[in-house]
Amino acid sequence: MEEMILKLKQEIIEVLNLEDVKPEDIDNDAPLFGEGLGLDSIDALELIVLMEKNYGIKLQDPAKGKEIFKSINVMADYIQKNRTR
Amino acid sequence: MVQDNKIKILSAKQISIQNPLSEEWMESPLAYTGSYVPAIDPEFRQFISAGDARRMGKLLKRALATSLSALKEGGVENPDAIITGTGFGSVENTELFLDAMVREGEQMLKPTQFMQSTHNTASSLIGIHTRSHGYNSTYTQKGMSFDCALYDAWLQFRLGKIKTALVGSHDEMTPVFAGFMRKADHVRDCEICSEAAVSVLMGTGQDTPAYCTLDGMVILNRPDPDELADAVRSLTDGNAPSAIMTGMSGNAENDSWYGFLVKLLPNIPLLRYKHLFGVNFSSSAIGFYTAACCLKKGLIPACLTNDGNAIIPEGGILTVNIVEDRHYSISLLKPILCGGL
Amino acid sequence: MAQNRSVLITGCGIICAIGNGKEEVLKSLLANRTGIGPLKYLKTTHTEFPVGEVKMSDTEMEQAMGIEPGTPVTRTALMGMIALHEALGEAGLDRDDLKECSFVNGTTVGGMDKSEQYYTDFIENDTRNEYIKTHDCGSCSEMIADRFGRFRYITTISTACSSAANAVELGADMIRSGQADIVVAGGSECITKFHLNGFNSLMILDHGQCRPFDAERAGLNLGEGAAYLVLESAESAARRGVKPVALLSGYGNACDAFHQTASSPDGEGAYLAMSKALADAELRPSDIDYINAHGTGTPNNDVSESQAMKRLFGDAMPPVSSTKSLTGHTTSASGSVEAVICILALRNGFVPVNYAWANPMDDGIVPNMELKPSHQLRHILCNSFGFGGNDSSVILTATD
Repeated sequence: MEEMILKLKQEIIEVLNLEDVKPEDIDNDAPLFGEGLGLDSIDALELIVLMEKNYGIKLQDPAKGKEIFKSINVMADYIQKNRTR
Repeated sequence: MVQDNKIKILSAKQISIQNPLSEEWMESPLAYTGSYVPAIDPEFRQFISAGDARRMGKLLKRALATSLSALKEGGVENPDAIITGTGFGSVENTELFLDAMVREGEQMLKPTQFMQSTHNTASSLIGIHTRSHGYNSTYTQKGMSFDCALYDAWLQFRLGKIKTALVGSHDEMTPVFAGFMRKADHVRDCEICSEAAVSVLMGTGQDTPAYCTLDGMVILNRPDPDELADAVRSLTDGNAPSAIMTGMSGNAENDSWYGFLVKLLPNIPLLRYKHLFGVNFSSSAIGFYTAACCLKKGLIPACLTNDGNAIIPEGGILTVNIVEDRHYSISLLKPILCGGL
Repeated sequence: MAQNRSVLITGCGIICAIGNGKEEVLKSLLANRTGIGPLKYLKTTHTEFPVGEVKMSDTEMEQAMGIEPGTPVTRTALMGMIALHEALGEAGLDRDDLKECSFVNGTTVGGMDKSEQYYTDFIENDTRNEYIKTHDCGSCSEMIADRFGRFRYITTISTACSSAANAVELGADMIRSGQADIVVAGGSECITKFHLNGFNSLMILDHGQCRPFDAERAGLNLGEGAAYLVLESAESAARRGVKPVALLSGYGNACDAFHQTASSPDGEGAYLAMSKALADAELRPSDIDYINAHGTGTPNNDVSESQAMKRLFGDAMPPVSSTKSLTGHTTSASGSVEAVICILALRNGFVPVNYAWANPMDDGIVPNMELKPSHQLRHILCNSFGFGGNDSSVILTATD
């Protein structure tokens, strides 16, 4: 799981172009949206694309995305349970 | 009711193939050869946080950096109007989205790339960043985009609707699109395909120091010789300018279009800037910017003149931009008289 | 601040999913007949999205305009030509008259329909290069204008969904400032894979018929079309002996300054654009007889626009409807397509219905579902709000 979380953080940093952020800067339980990393609705859409591209998980409803992307741990947990790749 | 308050150019900033956000090109221009030369970027961190920059391609970062610089120098936080020109828009992101769509299929495409490829992204980004709710528009008329944006600003001033305007033009390139520019004859033989971002702050009624005034402008599509002569006459009003900033580039066909100026304004020196800044859809903004800088300095440097002699532009500079031998844009910039600088 | 010089509308033309020309469009509006349906003309894998396509193929439009087969031309330009032809015809402007006319065109995709089709040809085979010249927006406007003669000034505005509205505003400014006597302004946009996929990546497309201002709305349906207004000074119309079909009595442009793809919760940009238009026309909110809303059917726009309208109109809310559930969202052309719909409403005495609406929003306006107006229509407000917060509103007024 730890390896997967590290990989996920690297993917998020890359896809969202978070230049100044390193994986160790992202707390696994900190909120990703609003405060914490300060991501917004466009970032959520990019993460939806990432989920499908890298893990084969297709999300139809953007509102569902906000729940799944609450924090790294929540996201990793969801991926673990639903990935098809 | 049409207002005739003089429109002052309060500041003008560029990012191009010359040193960015500076007027070093006036004394020591960089020389280039080659087919395609990308712009030199400043350190964007001084203007844009990493968080904000994450979603911005080159064009947007340059548009924002030149805008914020121009606003700062001109002492304005929220311009009454933000009007922008771009010929091709954010080419990098258009290419990425198009490429992915065509090669990988219509799935899992990136919203950021699409968002950035809409041409009004620069103008609205500046509005968002400066929290300016005023007039906001974007022109996409190839090499006339800046001129059209300027014309709109000029109209807004004449109608008394605004007191300040930030007018810009921004174009970026990629190697693939630089190839397209040549295939479509937008960049010709002897011309270097380049990139440019220019932001000009202008206003009426300010006491702040200014570079020069914009005394008038005319834009025409396929004018006949009489219409051209009338246009020049109406602007110069019998007083010949000290020099004419032209879009001559060294390409024979392009340069031939400017021949009418020799007849209408004989013995007035013709200036060039494309040999220093290259050619792109925002070139005419560079022409306007260089003219404004010359008037601010009170000197047209040798690097812009045909005979290598500097000129003192006390009679002002007429700027002329011609696109595809059909669109003509002519504007007159005059020095500030007494106490303006 | 009102300006002295009136802006008359002496002709208009339209082509969209509900008709080719004003007569067909009027019939569809009165019959409340939608033009949204399954994809027919655009070649895309996303056939699941209903769209409002113009019911003509490129070849059929080329034939209608008498264009030589094999001439490089784009769908956006073809639609533009058809609409411009109708507008110039109604205004009685022929080839020679155009020398004194300007053309302001709103488009954001330009020739992308051909560029996306031939992209690999450009790069890998060095073929189809004639379509590189047709890619950009400015060239699109030139293609439309040049078909008819020499316009004195040609320009192109690309502010996404408010492009055509802004084109109309610029035209009016040119007339008010004395810079022009006649300006033909509007917009044209065809559906492309590029922006169909773009909007899909933003997850704002409805997989079914769109339902503006409905509590269960799920997004927009893309449309396509073109429309132009012939704006003219009173002196010029008098000189030519032509009567206006409507007046452009006010307009306003403001920036929401909130986000690139979402409108602010309180609809500030929309509120400012509408307020500016009213002030410009020297009208009060209670003078407005109908609002043609931007009303895309997205969760975001409809609540934001509702807030803005409520703030401005309060208890004096006139009938409001969106016609995008009939035409689809014609993006850059929507400002002029919907302005022509408003002119048809003024001249024929009806209020367009908000087709497909059923469930009231908790926090939104309740749209108009009655064709018959309660009193004579005099002033109509037409909204166009674009990505990036480029918000514009125009007011069309009936002639006496």
